Amino acid sequence: MRALVNGYGFLGKRVARSILLGKLPGVRLVAVARSTGYLYRPEGLRAEELGNDLSGSPHFVEGSALVLLEDGKVDLLVELTPTNLPSGEPALTNIRTALSRGIDVVTANKAPIALAYRELKEVARSTGALLLFEGTVGGGIPLISLRRFCLRGDEVLTIRGILNGTTNYILSRMHFEGLTFDLALREAQNLGIAERDPTLDIEGYDTALKLLILANAVMGLDRKLDDVRITGISRISADAVALAKEAGMTIKLIGSVDADGRLSVAPRLVKLNDPICVHGTLNAVTIRLKTAGDLTLIGEGAGEPTVTSILNDIWEVVTVRGFGSA
Amino acid sequence: MEMPAVRVRLTCALVDRPGTLLKTLEQIALAGGNIISIVHSRENITSGYVPVSINVEFPDAQSLERAKKGIESVGVPVIGSESLEKALRTVIVIGRGELGDLIRAVEGLGLRIVDASVRGSGPEITARLTLEVPEGDEGESAMARFEGAASSLGYLLVPEV
Repeated sequence: MRALVNGYGFLGKRVARSILLGKLPGVRLVAVARSTGYLYRPEGLRAEELGNDLSGSPHFVEGSALVLLEDGKVDLLVELTPTNLPSGEPALTNIRTALSRGIDVVTANKAPIALAYRELKEVARSTGALLLFEGTVGGGIPLISLRRFCLRGDEVLTIRGILNGTTNYILSRMHFEGLTFDLALREAQNLGIAERDPTLDIEGYDTALKLLILANAVMGLDRKLDDVRITGISRISADAVALAKEAGMTIKLIGSVDADGRLSVAPRLVKLNDPICVHGTLNAVTIRLKTAGDLTLIGEGAGEPTVTSILNDIWEVVTVRGFGSA
Repeated sequence: MEMPAVRVRLTCALVDRPGTLLKTLEQIALAGGNIISIVHSRENITSGYVPVSINVEFPDAQSLERAKKGIESVGVPVIGSESLEKALRTVIVIGRGELGDLIRAVEGLGLRIVDASVRGSGPEITARLTLEVPEGDEGESAMARFEGAASSLGYLLVPEV
């Protein structure tokens, strides 16, 4: 199976390396791309060609790797470009192009799945291509696969949880150290946990995108970003966190889909003994099932653990396509 | 599984005629309801009807529904059914408005503040309020309206999950 890894950042480098190390039998890495250009060799790339920056290689071709999809040079697109709002591009076009040509897609990019899940799923259905996106939500926590493989006989009534590690880190520091919001944010930026422009995280948009993916893919709803009521955490004062703490609670940014299918992202008081009350950069999600009751999953929501989700998705494509024994 | 008991205030519009109240109470008893008190508002007679509020404890939600159907079946309209169960909810409000306005908004929604703790640094006030809220949909709706009212007064309201 010929794979293109599109996006050569934190995740792209790790996934490309894993394939080159032979961790995924049956997968041949024929192309790796970044925003400015790509490397492509039909016989498969070698580890020493990649380096830290693809453009150092003599085989580096400037331009978009979209041509590789259009020309059917690959069987699998691993789309790992960064999330881009409001357009979702270039990932949305890449994924649409791949699926429409019957090329399987594995992605960790939230925007295309959150913004256009129904459309992409329909394209995938019409061509028989696979669209897998476990890495978009909850890092290494297998939420989508859990629904697909383990909860098929039950009905998901509600979902709620902490889906953003950056805001959880900030709120945890406010809770345990009494820091102000500004100080905790600056600390998170210095540690590389928060972006230089933290808007997407602290204003709740990152959580909203993940919640949309869960609502649409796990609960079978058809919601848009405009359907989510979003309130961020930038107004949470040190006094507010202290008052919550006195009452045996803390404040967390909670994404929730309620029993009426309403989506909201907002700071909420959470009791310290609630299973979703996790701290630091951890994520936690409670899925309420009609028969099985509440199921809570906790794990790292970003970074290295996301690689696990992506590799598992690729593994599934390989297995379904029968390349596994190759 | 044991169903929780349900305490409600049923308001019925009785025709001002002897025996109507008895028929109504019979239906409640038949459905398994335990009558706690009856308030007969004779001063509110409108076009021959007297509103009567009956506080009842039912063994479960189904028997409440049976009683309502039974009352309607003897020709008495049930014009209100209000939960008497109350839960305590904690909220935190953050903002620069007058706290008095917010308290009036709470009271206007039929919620009761049973505890409050306020901290202020500079122009911004942060308060933790413990509210007595009716159980069920009624309480949910009052809380949603409170969130809206707080927001229009410039407050951010942080409720429990």
